[in-house]
Amino acid sequence: MIQFINQYPETETFDYHKRLALLRERKLEQTAEKVAKEGGLDEDDYGRVVPPDYFKFKITPNNPDGHFYGYSGWTENFTRLLAEHPLYVDPLDAFVGRGFFFLIRLRGMTGDPSYPYPWNPAHPFDDLKPVFARYNIICGIGRDHHFNPDIKMGMELGWGGILKKLEHYRAQNPPETYEFYDSEIAVVKAIISFLRRISHQLAELSLIERNPTLKRNLEEMADINFRMADGSPKTMREAVQWMCWFSMLSRLYNRGSAGGQLDQLLLPYYENDIKAGRITDDEARFYLGCLFFNDSRYYQLGGPDIDGNDTINHLSYLILEAANEVNIACNLTVRVHDKTDPVFLRKAVGYLFSNRNGWPRFSGDTALVNGFMRCGFPRQEAIARISSGCHWMSIPGKEYTLNDIVKINTAKVFEMAWREMMDDGTPSLEELYKRFLSHLKCATETTADGIRFHLNWQDQNEPELILNLLSHGPIEKGADVTKSATYFNMCVDGAALATVADSFAAVEQRVIREKRLTFAELDGYLTSDFAGTEGEYVRQMLQKSERYCQGDTLGDRWAVRISRDFSELVRAQNQRYPGLNFIPGWFSWSNTIYFGRHVGATPNGRKAGSAINHGANPHPGFRHDGAVTAMCNSIAAIQPGYGNTAPVQLELDPGIAESPEALDKLVSMIRTLLNSGNTLLNINIIDEDQILRAHEHPELYPDLVVRVTGFTAYFSMLSKPFRQLVVDRIISKRGVA
Amino acid sequence: MNSAEMTTEGWITEIQRFSLNDGPGIRTSVFFKGCSLNCAWCHNPETIRPQAELMVYPARCIGCGHCVEVCPTGAHFKQNGTPGFDRSKCVNCGKCAEVCFPGAMVMSAKKVTVPQVMAEIVQDRAYYRDSGGGVTLSGGEVFCQIGFAHALISACREEKLHIAAETNLHWDFDTVRPLLTKLDLVMFDLKLADPEAHRRWTGVDNARILSNLQRLDSLGIPLIGRTPLIPGATDTEENIRAIATEMRKLKNLVRWELLNFNPLGGSKFEALGLPDPFASVQPLNRERMSELIRAAESGGVKVIAG
Repeated sequence: MIQFINQYPETETFDYHKRLALLRERKLEQTAEKVAKEGGLDEDDYGRVVPPDYFKFKITPNNPDGHFYGYSGWTENFTRLLAEHPLYVDPLDAFVGRGFFFLIRLRGMTGDPSYPYPWNPAHPFDDLKPVFARYNIICGIGRDHHFNPDIKMGMELGWGGILKKLEHYRAQNPPETYEFYDSEIAVVKAIISFLRRISHQLAELSLIERNPTLKRNLEEMADINFRMADGSPKTMREAVQWMCWFSMLSRLYNRGSAGGQLDQLLLPYYENDIKAGRITDDEARFYLGCLFFNDSRYYQLGGPDIDGNDTINHLSYLILEAANEVNIACNLTVRVHDKTDPVFLRKAVGYLFSNRNGWPRFSGDTALVNGFMRCGFPRQEAIARISSGCHWMSIPGKEYTLNDIVKINTAKVFEMAWREMMDDGTPSLEELYKRFLSHLKCATETTADGIRFHLNWQDQNEPELILNLLSHGPIEKGADVTKSATYFNMCVDGAALATVADSFAAVEQRVIREKRLTFAELDGYLTSDFAGTEGEYVRQMLQKSERYCQGDTLGDRWAVRISRDFSELVRAQNQRYPGLNFIPGWFSWSNTIYFGRHVGATPNGRKAGSAINHGANPHPGFRHDGAVTAMCNSIAAIQPGYGNTAPVQLELDPGIAESPEALDKLVSMIRTLLNSGNTLLNINIIDEDQILRAHEHPELYPDLVVRVTGFTAYFSMLSKPFRQLVVDRIISKRGVA
Repeated sequence: MNSAEMTTEGWITEIQRFSLNDGPGIRTSVFFKGCSLNCAWCHNPETIRPQAELMVYPARCIGCGHCVEVCPTGAHFKQNGTPGFDRSKCVNCGKCAEVCFPGAMVMSAKKVTVPQVMAEIVQDRAYYRDSGGGVTLSGGEVFCQIGFAHALISACREEKLHIAAETNLHWDFDTVRPLLTKLDLVMFDLKLADPEAHRRWTGVDNARILSNLQRLDSLGIPLIGRTPLIPGATDTEENIRAIATEMRKLKNLVRWELLNFNPLGGSKFEALGLPDPFASVQPLNRERMSELIRAAESGGVKVIAG
């Protein structure tokens, strides 16, 4: 157990603000400890804590390869982990629910970013692997979560209700579904036992705690947890406690997943408490603050209802204020639409600039809704599809998606096309694009094959034993969500759009139009990685060609063409696999570095092995004035247009919003860029000098948070290459100023 | 745009989109080449002379020698394999800049047509509309290129864009008047109240500037006044109070902005091969800014720090 009992004298008094401030201090200490013990982790914070030294969990394999697979393997290991899992309790906190592990990682990792987790060897896919390798595809086979559970349904049922629901449907379904039901029933029973154990431990600790305020808090937590073991929440505190545990349990299982629309999920509980006089706004903010300490889960705020009216409410404001008070890495997304409460939006943007912690970010309702409706969904479902992850949207409980998992490195596709064309000795721009499309088609089809394969066998590899419980379909049908989801909206992201578009533009400009180089000469420079002074000269010439995001340039036109053709290729997979809806996007996440490493020098002047562009962003240094508007217009123009995103990632100086008037301009900028077709906006407020100092001495800046890609992270927790990416963007910007 | 306006050419140093400090809302600023003043502290010294000149950034040079190959006067040379540049031989023809992709040689301005500039400007129309922004003509001195300015202003009006100009007010009023009446906002500089000090620091006295200011005010266009606070030159209470007196006379003044010294000109002076008289000067500290703002407020007009 990790506990902080009797840390304060009996006479010490606390109010909610003091408790949040003390919890924040502890959070920063824990971040520093995580960095010291685990090193750079290019991912979300998850609210996870370093496990106590004495606790070791050893998995029980059910396969000769030393790993475990399928219903029995996951059930046995998860229930045992729950039975043994130590409690983390902080009497200052309103909730318990911190986790230490992800079982998916305890099972063992492969070390290969293409297939990070072991896959059940009973179902080989050796036929697909060479194609995945050829195009540097991250195929998604064996990957998990990345879709949105229906937390509202979970809270209405409670664990006891979920258990009853499982037993009810088991009785109605045939014996071949019993493996599913028996596993799920065992898991839910283990959860209920775990929560009862926790509540007993809390009751025991409350007897020891000397401070009366904290003692009362522990008693309350014990009571609440006893009720939440199998009951449904009735108050806001119970609801948040339920959410904290659900977060922990799904993280503990396989790191999943997203939160939901927080200001709607909690609204009925908050309103009931207010009506009954059980809660003050101060108390509500305290609970929300504690929720953020518990987990950095993604939550959406606001958005339209079915009639187009704004759903921002008083609780939305409390959520923003609580996030402001705890001021840590929060993953809050404000969904911006025509009728977004302007006061709320301004407040949200104000916090973004004053806290400089990368939250909130902003999603563009119009483009997302219209895009998703193009897939054939009704407006109601498009609105219900809420911001849930780094770059993705999901309808709670209804979709299986592999969002932000499946990626095609189009720079590698380009490289294949280039090499093949040069080896065949028929170089031309048309030929290059023709071959690029041909390889992209092959890459996309094989990616779709991989997704279908994953859906066929994932339940035999890693069933979603936690998220199944909050999905519509699995319990009713007695099958894993990979076989029983309401919708299969499979995300296929392209990566390296700018790298490839700029490469085509550079070839068109320098080889075809200006005839400064021949194809053969360019090939020579690429092969030598722009060696020597003349190589560097040519590299800079290529780099200064008309680039993507400069505004109506060759690079912009190529990017639009490539994105349109990529979208068509992805959508064409629907015909190959009826029942599956493939949705294109542009996003590279932390694969920005990994993908770059696998691609040699490219005609956009990029050196071999260096990073591809991030997401849908341009390569750094794209414009002399770095104009945000030019960039946002270009990114709006390449949106794939089917409800998934190609995010805008901005880095802005904190000084830009110093006056109220300047803040108004930035609010306007955000509204305009989202109303102009963009889908998602991440803004990093970067004090450049501070970042450069923190890069040298990360340990001195434990609370410096940046939005690296889709997620916010402590800068000190990033690996050096990833910190370098952020630093390079700054240096590049300064270089052209 | 009539055909004459379509073909009118002008010299600009830069088009800056997403400009947040040059008037209301989100704007695109077009920097005109050439200025009628020669302020010693200018942070855009590349805009002063009417002709494009070569700016040299040796740190970016990779030693490729392509400039040597194209230079018609021998200003670029290689000695023992090391590149060198003799500015006294340079005729600012720009041939070296055309081949210098590393950016060690850059021409300070380019010749553009009105449609070329408009093509860039209209890309941000949605941002202007939502934020109440538009286009700002800046410089240099916009009205040194009267024909080009006229054509560009007309083109912006045709597109129904809010249009502002930043000016030093040192021009012939009757010539500029037809352009002024087409503007939605004029941002003018008033740097020094004392005529002799004005001459010393900017090259001209301020009689015409003060006279033009009064006549400009009579046109009824909203005005924003600006005073750069230059350590040792304009940053005295006496100067600020005297300018405040001028500001108070204006009927159409929206506000008066006091702009702290901007040391960004330094590297540009170096690139132009010119001495930077303010090389070691630092911006004013917060306390001094506050003191000068208080002095400015004595005039009874709205003052903000820019």
